[in-house]
Amino acid sequence: MSDVAAAQPRRSLWARYTTSSPIVVTFYALVLGLIVGAVIISTTTPAVLDAWRALFHSWNGLPHAINITFDNVGAAYRAMFTGSIVDPQTFWHSLLSGKGWPNTLTPISETFTYATPLIIVSIGVGIAFQTGLFNIGANGQAVIGGIAGAAFGSMVHMPTVLHLPLTLAAGIAGGMICGAVPGLLKAYTGAHEVIVTLMFNYVTYAFLLFAVLSTPFQQPGQQNDIGRTMDPSAILAPLFGTTSGLRVSYGVVVAALVVVFAWWLIDRSSLGFDFRVTGANPSAARASGINAKTIIVTVFLISGGLAGLAGVVQVASTTHYIDGGFLIGEAGIGFTAITVALLGRNRPFGIVWASLLFAALGVGGRNMQAITGIPLDLATVIQSAIVLFVATPVLVKEIFRLRNAPTIGVQLATTGWGT
Amino acid sequence: MGHVSLVKSTESANAPPVTVNRRTRVTAVLMALIGVFTIVIFGLGSVARAHSQLTFNPISVIHAPWRIGTLTVATRWTDVALGLIILALATEMYLRRPRRAVMLRFGVVAIIFLFALLFWVARSPGPSPISFVNITSILVGSSATMMVLVFGALSGVMCERSGVVNIAIEGQFIGGAFFGSLLASTTDNFFYAAIGGAVIGGLIGLLLAFFALRYRSDQIIVGVVLVTMIAGLSSYLNLQVLTPFPNFNTGNLAPNLPIPLLSKIPVLGPVLFNQSGFFYLMIVLVAVVSFALFKTRYGLHVRAVGEHPRAAATVGINVIRVRYINVVLGGAIAGVGGAAFMATQGEFQVGYTSGLGYIALAALIFGRWRPSGAVVASVIFGLSVYLSYNLVTYQVPISIYFLEMFPYLVTIGVVAGLIGRVRAPAADGQPYQRD
Repeated sequence: MSDVAAAQPRRSLWARYTTSSPIVVTFYALVLGLIVGAVIISTTTPAVLDAWRALFHSWNGLPHAINITFDNVGAAYRAMFTGSIVDPQTFWHSLLSGKGWPNTLTPISETFTYATPLIIVSIGVGIAFQTGLFNIGANGQAVIGGIAGAAFGSMVHMPTVLHLPLTLAAGIAGGMICGAVPGLLKAYTGAHEVIVTLMFNYVTYAFLLFAVLSTPFQQPGQQNDIGRTMDPSAILAPLFGTTSGLRVSYGVVVAALVVVFAWWLIDRSSLGFDFRVTGANPSAARASGINAKTIIVTVFLISGGLAGLAGVVQVASTTHYIDGGFLIGEAGIGFTAITVALLGRNRPFGIVWASLLFAALGVGGRNMQAITGIPLDLATVIQSAIVLFVATPVLVKEIFRLRNAPTIGVQLATTGWGT
Repeated sequence: MGHVSLVKSTESANAPPVTVNRRTRVTAVLMALIGVFTIVIFGLGSVARAHSQLTFNPISVIHAPWRIGTLTVATRWTDVALGLIILALATEMYLRRPRRAVMLRFGVVAIIFLFALLFWVARSPGPSPISFVNITSILVGSSATMMVLVFGALSGVMCERSGVVNIAIEGQFIGGAFFGSLLASTTDNFFYAAIGGAVIGGLIGLLLAFFALRYRSDQIIVGVVLVTMIAGLSSYLNLQVLTPFPNFNTGNLAPNLPIPLLSKIPVLGPVLFNQSGFFYLMIVLVAVVSFALFKTRYGLHVRAVGEHPRAAATVGINVIRVRYINVVLGGAIAGVGGAAFMATQGEFQVGYTSGLGYIALAALIFGRWRPSGAVVASVIFGLSVYLSYNLVTYQVPISIYFLEMFPYLVTIGVVAGLIGRVRAPAADGQPYQRD
């Protein structure tokens, strides 16, 4: 945006919003995503359908039908907002009376709780994307990181000063081991990382079930697939103390450190420069003496390590134990991370905003389900739709008839597995 | 895009003929290890007097006017013999270094290994309360999984042979299963379920093609996002539509259509000729896709487009149109696969395809992007998936979860060149821009 503004300083506000730039396209993609969600709500809510069906008999019901459509969609999105950001009513109440702040802050605290591991794992995926590598196995790496962290946090006992850092380190190590496999295979045998990481996800899910049902790690006295609970010395404590009732934890601090680290790595370090060169133009990278194999393995170690860290942060800041359903399926944070990284254009700070947005959609979706009865899976659909549009800027430009700006678009991450 | 794949550089460095032979030997060593494992753990690991019983009579005897007596074998010596067969295959491979059928041999070894495992699991003085292996019912049971995998892998063949990566097979399975269940429940006719599955799968394929071909988006990203979206949508619609109206999701199973006479053949009859219509459709589709791809002019066009779209365009082939047609047809096939899954598993549930679409992708790769290879791969993977779900009944102290990993690990081995060699269509996943 700043580049555009500098190049054409005297553009009107109108021109600014009708010319495509990454931010404008992202904004319109968001709008389109919400429209998709609205269409889905209206076509599946019986009350709305009945109102429209009445139009077959008489056109008089048209205002009512439009009204009820907006009512339903509005109620859903309002519940999403109040459930994830803040409820204006309780906010004014707290502000005037000075009471009930924990209650008022719960939605935003939940959003941050949900966003924290998402930021960490998405930054890992984003670093891989910037190097031209597609780490689709972040979910599996996070699972292994979670298992490693939960195991270390529950089966080894030591004081907090040592226990917490080592638990986080165990998660990172687990993710790194898991990320090293596709990295090494890609570097030394040419196996396509998408296939390897995709398959490895399912290997880790099976391993997770094995782990939580195996004698040393299973919760004592449990027959179900539940792992041991972590020691209090190994968990990420709530940021505002346990009495506040707000779940947001010191994981936020970890995420902030990761963001700074990633910014330094990508923008300031020479290693990060090599990453970006390799991603932008592999032949140029090779010609300038960058060792492609080392880069591939390093990127997968970092990406896997961050995913593992995200896994352990997820466990240590919320449930403090893992079960057989930990991060399983398409809703796992490792899969959301792919979409978050795209939405944030692989930049650390962009990823922070994208994570908060997606976390808000997810958390708000729960409130929406509780209040309006519309299933929270709608949030997943909206998220996917947003990313589909972000990944296809040309379509957004066509729909909104945006004028062309200097450069836009998400760079192609991969080129399939043809050789 | 000016985007040289990193794969290219590493592979061309590793591809001289010497490496091919070395890799064959790596495969042989892997096979030998499996053989030794079979002999030591399954064979010598079971007590000498242990025996396993093989039964062959299907559970429902209506279409089986035959009985086969129980075959009792000594577990130890059977498994040692099976292990020796594996070792013999490994030795042959190590010494002769065959250039063809490497993966077929590995597949044979995998199947022998799975059966050795079964004998060991069901040995009589052993931990399991069930002391027999019903070969027929295992084959019948795994044929359902295998059928779904074949549909998915065929879909992959259609798409990827034309140069479009279809990673959304899982999404097409889910969509096909959802609409298949809706239509089968409301019309009580599985023909409509198949049609509905094909339509919804084709639509998902169209969406993939639209983004991949018109806007040249990253096909893998679009595929992943489509799967997420459809999984979310199916879960949403399940709560909004199927749960309030249970008669939209009755969970009837497709009836079996026994073929006269053939279905009465012992063992083979129930497995191959007493199946639902979906199974026969799958066999027909394998033949049709094989023929269309390798024996017709259109198939030649498809393969040309998948290998070298620019050259294909030069001789007048409409690259984009061929890709559109193939991706939509491929999507339709996967959608039918989803309906077939529903027809053998019962009512639609959220997440019940549990990654089968990705095993189908694995079968596609293990089958080297060929319909026939996809069938062989699906048989192996179908058997291992079925056993990993059903070994629980034997209450054995081994972890079925390692068996669950099997298809994925094999596929990783395949793409890494540790087990045979595969080569994707050259333009697979590369966006094509008209000149």
